[in-house]
Amino acid sequence: MIVTLAWKNMLRSKCRSFVVIGAITVGVWALIFLFSFMNSFSEAYRRNSVNYEYSHIQVHHPDYLIEPDIDKVVSQLSQLEAYLEERGILRSISKRQIVSGMIGSAKTTSGVRIYGIDPDSEGATTSLKTHLLEGNYFNKLKRNPILLSREVADKLNLKIKSKVVLTFQNIQGDITSAAFRVEGIFNSTSPRINGGVVYVKNEDLSRLIGFRGVNEVALLFDDIKVIEDVKIDLKSKFDLSVSSYRDLAPEFDLLDQQSTISKQVLTSIIMLALLFGIINTMLMAVLERTREIGMLKAIGMQRVRIFLMIIFETVVLSLVGGPIGLVLGYLTVWRTGTTGIDFSAYADSLSQYGYGTMFYPLLEADMYLILMVTVLITALVGAIYPAYKAVSLNPLEAIRKV
Amino acid sequence: MAIIEAKNITKIYNPDKIPVKAINNLSVEIEQGEFTAIVGPSGCGKTTLLNIIGGLDKPTEGEVKIDQVEIANLKEAELTDFRLKNIGFVFQAYNLIPVLTAKENVEFVMLLQEEQKLKRDERAEDLLAKMGILEHMNRRPSELSGGQQQRVAVARALASKPKFILADEPTANLDSTSTTSLLEIMSKMNEEEGATFVFSTHDQRVIDKAKRVITLVDGQVVKDEKR
Repeated sequence: MIVTLAWKNMLRSKCRSFVVIGAITVGVWALIFLFSFMNSFSEAYRRNSVNYEYSHIQVHHPDYLIEPDIDKVVSQLSQLEAYLEERGILRSISKRQIVSGMIGSAKTTSGVRIYGIDPDSEGATTSLKTHLLEGNYFNKLKRNPILLSREVADKLNLKIKSKVVLTFQNIQGDITSAAFRVEGIFNSTSPRINGGVVYVKNEDLSRLIGFRGVNEVALLFDDIKVIEDVKIDLKSKFDLSVSSYRDLAPEFDLLDQQSTISKQVLTSIIMLALLFGIINTMLMAVLERTREIGMLKAIGMQRVRIFLMIIFETVVLSLVGGPIGLVLGYLTVWRTGTTGIDFSAYADSLSQYGYGTMFYPLLEADMYLILMVTVLITALVGAIYPAYKAVSLNPLEAIRKV
Repeated sequence: MAIIEAKNITKIYNPDKIPVKAINNLSVEIEQGEFTAIVGPSGCGKTTLLNIIGGLDKPTEGEVKIDQVEIANLKEAELTDFRLKNIGFVFQAYNLIPVLTAKENVEFVMLLQEEQKLKRDERAEDLLAKMGILEHMNRRPSELSGGQQQRVAVARALASKPKFILADEPTANLDSTSTTSLLEIMSKMNEEEGATFVFSTHDQRVIDKAKRVITLVDGQVVKDEKR
């Protein structure tokens, strides 16, 4: 009957209970949506970084990342490909020849990293092909086509079919120059690529360098869960530098830490507001029922039972408000996660930080449970002071209270 | 043997500031099955005496034994448990739980005693029937008249099968008909079930019905009349 009494007491002041339930519901919903929205930023950054820059794993010569010279090539390439083929987890692979050089137009020159790629495999591994703003993807010009970013094009005053000269060292260390023609202009979400990476066909680049070695192998898998496993496996089997996108971009850990801290701060603020709301409401409920609580003590209800009754009333409020907030939060995440939230209006500023314009909120299933437990704990903590006030009442004075 | 023994009790409120002596070296004994009214002018100490006997307040001096147990020595939890098992209370303002029905209010005290559901149901309905309000058992206090509410309160006080029932001005808020009806019921419970009642009252109708009348003046017994 204490449970029944607690439930009936909750319904005694419907308006007040509704306000608390509403506060809990909104608090839980807001946390779920904020968490999922923050996750969508992390996920968008991860997705863009994987799609444009790093893929899931990159394989290099053991010393390439320390000293990225053209002659530091990936050895055992055929064995590596055979091994990956055998595991059957690979979605695509892109082999790149990379050289540093200068790009020059009639207007000016600029330093760039020149990626020699196979257009088909690069197109399957990165999103380069889908982010062309103008021109074509290596399928119109037969000789020395080049893709460059809008940023580089603007800097060098280039248009489609404009001629540029690439200058770099060949394998012998001699300076080589060659004319290329702009076939496509892209806009990547990666500031690094936009600022100084140009793409040419690997056959054109290797001809000019006089060397066909591969400096970088980018791997993309169907399932991201295999990344760490494959990385360890490759490291043990091949004498190569094997790096996941997280190794190559330490900002992921920073982002995760920032996200975790932000979530903790947000949770603390919302739970603190909820805590004071619950304390206020339950304190009012106790003060309104001073005489009744006094009577209960007088007729023989022990302090612990009165304490539990107040606690239970609060828990009931949370058990109503919490799940409603969870369901609303889940539906919001599901809906916005499916349709995405469009931030095209902020495209320029977002792209400077490596973000696209669409964000897809998402939240791990266990977070719903964690939030529910957090709300319950908050409610329990919030109920302690009002419950303490209730048990501290002197029955004689409480009964006399008008 | 006396069920209530109060020996030389004194109660002083605000002993450190402006002391007010509500009870002054009072001794009284009440036997099982008595139907006792404690009367006297306002401020004579009636309610204070009832509170002390009921274990809701402690005397400044003296001792109170309920069924041979010195209640002043009990800790708070023990005293609460003692009240639950031994004392029934009827308050002037009824003090029913507004969100519970009449039957649930009566059952509540038995629930605290951890009685079985079946026994609770049976006794609550039996008591409400004796109070003449069985047909109202599913109504909440707000749906009952003052007299009906006080009858529920008496049923609640009897539900725990206490050694005695303390009633502080039980008819103060009732009209004449309700007062007469309530007194009839309590008197019947006293005669038929041997329930011990101790009232504090100003009401002449209650005084007329009592089998023993203890008159207090200035915290002292000035008259103890058995009828």
